[in-house]
Amino acid sequence: MRTASKLSLAVLALVITGAVTAQAQSNNASITATASVQTPINVTGAQQLNFNNAFPGVNKTVAASDLTNAGRFDVTGQASTPVTMAFTLPATLSSGGNTMPIDSYSGIHADNSAQTVGVVAFTPGASNGATLSAAGAMFVWVGARVTPATNQAAGVYTGSITLTVVY
Amino acid sequence: MKVPVSLLIGVTLLGSPLPLGAQGKPVTVTGIRGVTFGVVLPGVALVIMRTDPANSGQLDIKGPNRGQVQLTFTLPSAMTGPAGAQMPLVFGSSDAGYSQSQAIGGQIGFDPKQPFTASLSNSGRASVFVGGTANPVANQRAGTYTATITLTVTLLP
Repeated sequence: MRTASKLSLAVLALVITGAVTAQAQSNNASITATASVQTPINVTGAQQLNFNNAFPGVNKTVAASDLTNAGRFDVTGQASTPVTMAFTLPATLSSGGNTMPIDSYSGIHADNSAQTVGVVAFTPGASNGATLSAAGAMFVWVGARVTPATNQAAGVYTGSITLTVVY
Repeated sequence: MKVPVSLLIGVTLLGSPLPLGAQGKPVTVTGIRGVTFGVVLPGVALVIMRTDPANSGQLDIKGPNRGQVQLTFTLPSAMTGPAGAQMPLVFGSSDAGYSQSQAIGGQIGFDPKQPFTASLSNSGRASVFVGGTANPVANQRAGTYTATITLTVTLLP
């Protein structure tokens, strides 16, 4: 009987061991999926580029640093993030069937609207790099020079400047 | 009395999961790399392929040589971001891949939404790769989003 009891214990031990082994045959692990969403970029035309009065045969320039007359775009987006600006710039202004040439453009971007923080001068074109401020803002000014002909017809001349900003 | 006891032991040995124990290697799973979508733009879906060596997820499996295993994913339907914002996460019918060689180029695609049965290598190893699609909505809140993907591996008898 004593021998039988020992064997019964051995059997019980085998059964328990077998059960533990079976449970250990499944295992799992996890990984993480991550994504970072950028704040959408928003561009607003804040101020027109204004040459005011120009006279036939006299070139007139509006500097990008001219806070009153330079054209201005306001950009918002993800803070401290690089962006690319793409300008579409007219080569002439139009008044009915008459045109007035623009022979050059200039640009400034800054972190504030007073042009006192993060001021960078650049030549507007198809691809201009910049970085949004720590507040996720950028202010962009555009200046240009018109070259009226000596026989430039009188009138109000206009054109459109387009700025596209992407990450 | 001894005879019945001896018979009982014999039955127990045959009925226990001794074949698995005899192989000597419990199955283990280790998360190697998460699924990285990186920067996503609101309203623009972003797909990570399971064959993407840098951004796909990877889990490594160890177990008995040539052991048969069943793989079961627990998949999130969305990633959670700032203030509990959700970004839908979708897994396609071939967004998971099984590689006995553990090479990312040697995968067999399978549906991570369904259990998948495979064999470990001669050395008892394999890797599972996973991709997916993030679907941010047009007004998706900016910030970092995360979710947990879990792979359960069961050794089959």
